[in-house]
Order: sequence, then C-alpha cells, then structure tokens
Amino acid sequence: MRGLQLSLNKNQKLRVERALEQLESLSLKSNSDASVTVADNISVDCEDAILKGHGTTELDGRVVATLCGVVERVNKLVYVRALRARYKPEIGDIIVGRVIEVAPKRWRLEINFSQDAVLMLSSMNLPDGIQRRRTAIDELNMRSIFEENDVICAEVRGFQHDGCLHLQARSQKYGKLEIGQLLTIPPYLVKKRKQHFHHLEQYGIDLILGCNGYVWVGEHVEVKDPMLVDQSNKSEQQNADSENSMSANEVETCTPLETRQNICRTANAIRVLSTLGFMITVEVITEIVNLSTSLNLDIHEMLGPEFYVLVAEKEAERRSSLRKKR
Amino acid sequence: MAGKISNTPATYMPSPTSQNKKMSSIFTGSDWVRPDGRGPHQCRPSFLRTGAVNYASGSAYAEFGNTKVIVSVFGPRESKKAMMYSDMGRLNCNVSYTSFATPIRGQASESKDLSSMLHKALEGAIILESFPKTTVDVFALVLESGGSELPVIISCASLALADAGIMLYDMVASVSMSCLGKNLVIDPVSEEESYQDGGLMITCMPSRNEVTQMTVTGEWSTPKIHEAMQLCLDACSKLGKIMRSCLKEAVTLPQE
Repeated sequence: MRGLQLSLNKNQKLRVERALEQLESLSLKSNSDASVTVADNISVDCEDAILKGHGTTELDGRVVATLCGVVERVNKLVYVRALRARYKPEIGDIIVGRVIEVAPKRWRLEINFSQDAVLMLSSMNLPDGIQRRRTAIDELNMRSIFEENDVICAEVRGFQHDGCLHLQARSQKYGKLEIGQLLTIPPYLVKKRKQHFHHLEQYGIDLILGCNGYVWVGEHVEVKDPMLVDQSNKSEQQNADSENSMSANEVETCTPLETRQNICRTANAIRVLSTLGFMITVEVITEIVNLSTSLNLDIHEMLGPEFYVLVAEKEAERRSSLRKKR
Repeated sequence: MAGKISNTPATYMPSPTSQNKKMSSIFTGSDWVRPDGRGPHQCRPSFLRTGAVNYASGSAYAEFGNTKVIVSVFGPRESKKAMMYSDMGRLNCNVSYTSFATPIRGQASESKDLSSMLHKALEGAIILESFPKTTVDVFALVLESGGSELPVIISCASLALADAGIMLYDMVASVSMSCLGKNLVIDPVSEEESYQDGGLMITCMPSRNEVTQMTVTGEWSTPKIHEAMQLCLDACSKLGKIMRSCLKEAVTLPQE
C-alpha cells in the first residue's frame, strides 16, 4: 500500500513482479527467520553473556524484541534493526535541511529527524570571511545569511545531552542551496559513503545526497576554496562583485533550459528509485537518467507506469550482472 | 422571593416514557440471535493492513465487519506543547469520526472520551523513555462505526505504532463484550451495543499476559464478569496472533 500508487496494467504488473522476485533471489542474506515483530523471542545461546542492544528488552529471562525488524548479531551484541528506520545521525554526516526558525544566535533546521537540528551562528562562516567574534550586529543580521524556508547543507558537529543535533557549515561547500529541487526519500535508502557531494559534469548539475533522506538536485555552483584565493585574485573578486550585483537581477534567465531539464530528469529518476525502494547512489541515478534519454522519454513520462517497470527490470539486470562478475 | 419562584414557567422536560421504550428488556430468559449470524463467542473476521497513509511515520487500516478505522502515527517529533525537558516522551492521541461514520449524519457523542481512553490503553505499552523530549502523535479516524469502535481503534493504533518503529513492550489487542440479559456476546455490533445491559472492554498485551486497560459499564454479576474476562482474554491473544502475522506479511513484501 505504501508508495506511489500507479495503475499498472496486467502485463506491467507481471513484469514488475518478475523483476522484484529476481532481485529478492539475488539478495545475499535471505534469512527470513531473523525478522521479528514486537515481543517475539530472540534466540540467544547463553543469555548471561549477551549484550542486549537497541530494540530489545528482557522479559522473564528471555530476550524479546520491542521493534519490528531484523535481528543483527555482532559478537556478543544482539540488537534489532528496524526496516523502515528513522534517520540515525552520526557525527560527520552531511545533512540537507530547511530553516524553520531564526532564534537568538542560532538557526533551527528541520531535518527529518525526531527533533529539529540547531546551527549556531558561531558555526557558520560570516559573509566577509573574516574570523572574528560574533557581535550583536552579526546577530541582528542573521536574516541576511539565512531566512526561514531556506535550504541549507551542513555537517553534523555533535549532539547535545538531550539528543538535539548541532550542525556546522564552516566550509565553502556547505551553505545555502539556491537553484534546484529538494527531494524527500526514506533515509535508509542513502548509505553512508565517502562522498556525498557529486558533480555530474555531463548535465552540469550538483547532486547532494543528504544522509537524512533529503536529496538536493541543483544547478552546479562553483565552490571557491578560500585557501587558493590569494592576493592576486583579490582584484578579480572586486570586479566579480560589481558583476554579481547586476547578475542577481537576471538570475532567472541565467539558468539555461537544458540544465533545468536535467535537474528535473535527475529528480524524477530519484523519485522512481525511492518508490521502488532501491538504494540511491550516483551510479544508479546516472544510469536511470541515461536510460530515459536513450528512450527519448519526456520528463513527465518518467513518473509513469511504463518507466517504473523499466527501472525495476534494469535494476534486476544490473544486480545480476554484478553478481556474475563476482 | 420564595413566592416568585412559582411564577417562573417550568422548564421543558421531555416525557420520560419515550426514553424507556427500547429499554424494556426484551430478552429475560430468551436467547439473543445475532444479526450477522455469528455465534455468541465468535469475533468478526478482521482485515488489517499497515502502510495505509504514505505521509505518516506509521499507519494502519483495520476493518472488523462494518467498523472501519484508519490510524496514523507521527513521530517521534518536536512539539510546541512540550516546552519542558522531560526524560520520558509524550503520547498525544486524537480520535475523530467522519461525518458519514454514523447512520445519522453528525458528530458521534463519545469521541472526546475515546481520545483519553486510547491514551490510557496505549501508554502502558509504549517505552516512553526511548524518545525523551519528543512527542508521538496518534490520530485515529473512524470511517464507519458498526459497533465496538474503541477496541478496533486500540488494536489498529498498536499496529500503526509498530509500523512506525516506536518501541513497544508488546502489541496491544483489545476486545469488548456485551451482556444482553443472560447472553454474553463478544465483539458486539452497534445494534447489540444499544440493547446491552452491560459492557466490558479489555485491552491487554497478549505475550506478556498483562492488562493495560479494563472498562466495565452497566450491571454485571460476579460470575458473569469472570466468564466475560476469560473470554475476552482468549480473544485478545488470538487477535494478537493475527496482528503479528499482519506485521510479518508487511515485512516480507518486496522491500530492499
């Protein structure tokens, strides 16, 4: 019942089912006896030496589950991993969030977690780039940096004792995201990788896979590394500043149509993948976008039933070919 | 001043006889034949599905005969009401009826009560310490009320909570019984509920064998209560198994 309800005709339903069955048979660990529901017994060998982890509790000397999910065992630790888990933040995660409140000396961001995250003013680079103490004037000018409903990319700096997240956006690659689309996908579809920022050159777009399930697809923005900017570039910047004030007015016409179409194509590819429940990685996304361009599909047709079925089949093919390579 | 009171017109009172018409007990000594042909100790067949509402963290749809309920669970999430820091999470329940739920269009009378009763039934089963400072919102919507809505709401809510991944001590199953003269019928329909002499509702956690809520209304004799409780607890454990199999099914559908 979950997910995009598409009206598939009989043939398409058969094809989708076949593709999904193929994928299931390819999945490495098919231990359905490891899946538990609430208050199911978890079989343990010697109950004294077991560490009861997340999602378990003790009842009458037995270990029972408190969540519906899969039992994972790591040495002596037994825990239940929920299947449709909420996002679990870790330090160093890249997060995309939306500002919901401008509070004294901080911004509150909504990040698809049980609580809102906090971005302190001191964890944010000031517009003039100088490292200094934040004064009262900086606090009054917070709104010129980020306002409500702005989309921001940041990194998890740490947790407070009550579980509230602290973010930091001190590098040039973090900050406000302007021209593009923000997509919400289930957070367990984004695995933690080394790189979450991707620049797809052939389309000229930026792709940020936030670990919290918020994905940003937008126009490519040149990230100027402040270390490389030295005295010789200062004069360049002064010219660029005068240009920027002019181009801000024409910013709507600056994004070429093709880039915008590519943004929409990529966003639709991500939507189809998340409806099917497949892992979202850059390779898969580029493959799907190539598939849609090779078939000359219109962008809106990518959300139709036929493409949905094609993506499922393509993924089944891809995984079986990966399997054969191994 | 005392004299003036007699001059004030008497306030209108509806004639008392009109209320008693249907209360004249119809079945002293006679057996009650159930309108849908079930045995007196037979529950209605149930249809349970999780994942009914895409936007919610967890949701479930339950159909017991003509009683249809959708419950959606949001959370744990921040709530403006919870300003103070607390070690335990908060549970917020809301039950509402659609305007087409009852045979006569309009607000059903008990929906305010039901919210607090749902809260009491669920709070014993949720591990509140697992989400401090945040709130879990449970919204129940009764699409059609065909008798014994609260037990269906409670069972459906516990399915939705399990679907949302909220830590629970155990699933919560709930069954109600009606006493009609000397008959004890389980899982009454609205007709039976309107004729009942007494009603008993038990909400329990089957695997733990613990009762989270018990509601007794009307007149009951002690042996009848014992019998009714035993029947209800048996039915609850069966319902618990059905709920569990529904969750397992939802888990094994193709989902990577």
